[in-house]
Amino acid sequence: MKRVIIEKKILERNDESAKKIREILKNRGVFALNFMASPGAGKTTIIEKTIEALKDNYRISYIDGDLDTDRDASRIKKLGIDVVQINTSGACHLDADMVLRALEQVSLDCDILIIENVGNLVCPATFDVGANKNVVILSVPEGDDKVKKYPVMFNVADVVLLNKIDLLKFLNFDVERVKKELKEINPDADFIEVSAKEGYGLDRWFEYVRNLIENSSLL
Amino acid sequence: MHEGAIAESIVDILKQVKEENKLNRIVKVRLKIGKMSGVMVDALLFALEALRTEEDVVESTEFEVTETDVKARCNLCNRVYEYTDISDIVMLCEQCGMPLDIIEGKEMKIIDVEGE
Ligand SMILES: Nc1nc2c(ncn2[C@@H]2O[C@H](COP(=O)(O)OP(=O)(O)OP(=O)(O)O)[C@@H](O)[C@H]2O)c(=O)[nH]1
Ligand SMILES: [Mg+2]
Ligand SMILES: [Zn+2]
Repeated sequence: MKRVIIEKKILERNDESAKKIREILKNRGVFALNFMASPGAGKTTIIEKTIEALKDNYRISYIDGDLDTDRDASRIKKLGIDVVQINTSGACHLDADMVLRALEQVSLDCDILIIENVGNLVCPATFDVGANKNVVILSVPEGDDKVKKYPVMFNVADVVLLNKIDLLKFLNFDVERVKKELKEINPDADFIEVSAKEGYGLDRWFEYVRNLIENSSLL
Repeated sequence: MHEGAIAESIVDILKQVKEENKLNRIVKVRLKIGKMSGVMVDALLFALEALRTEEDVVESTEFEVTETDVKARCNLCNRVYEYTDISDIVMLCEQCGMPLDIIEGKEMKIIDVEGE
């Protein structure tokens, strides 16, 4: 019997690919945002609004990790943005190799690269995809208990958007609870309340993205 | 169920270990999985079990998993907080109010491999 001590990270290969992505993006002066949320939380809607608000001042590309349909990709294409659809073939998350392959196709003559991850609050949290910031969206109909139910996801968030706050008046949802639990699981995360449908809070979010890019020392 | 992807990564590493060390068979593998890694140990073992029939390298391998609690440290006063249940985590120091750094509990590692 032979014992081999290896102490190897299981996701070493993914982490190396994520590092490669960061180098490529840095060299090209691209700032990448990874959007993660449950199915239907409003990722594509918020991305559409963000593109509409920022596309006159920034060049934007979009990578879609949606499950097997190109619905989201065609919504974004309508805005005149360069779009690449990743075929995840049923995977529950994007990984760095998938994004690395997508980078060969998407236009990197851009300032912002938006990655829409697979709709899922669990699996995508484990895989670094080489983005500069993780944007996690929680929407009001999902309930106010989600932060502590999905601590790994909320812990990796750089910013949490609480979406669909136009629905607060119909539902029992305690925004303060979400804020308190987010503070506990991730004190450094920023928190912005929005309604992508009615526009509330979106200006604050756009300003937040502008600041991220201007301060990223990439431009 | 991303544990399937994790199990495949483990198998890829084991194939390499087997070749590099000229092993005929991998008898036992010890894994360390942090509770904040986002991986459920039961689901991972299930996924590894399912790979046995497809991947010769793990055909008769025993997997031993140690699940590690979350440890987070305050960089101001050096106090270390330990959590067994991740929904109890509070990432702020009680004394200093400073955000804590996770020092253990996010890892996903192969510790060692026994072969013959
Ligand atoms: N009431 C309300 N509905 C919204 C809001 N934002 C998005 N929606 C609706 O929520 C539904 C899902 O929105 P999407 O943007 O497609 O959500 P998604 O997260 O991209 O969904 P998947 O990609 O399928 O996981 C759509 O019917 C949107 O119109 C909002 O602020 N308020
Ligand atoms: Mg979508
Ligand atoms: Zn302290």
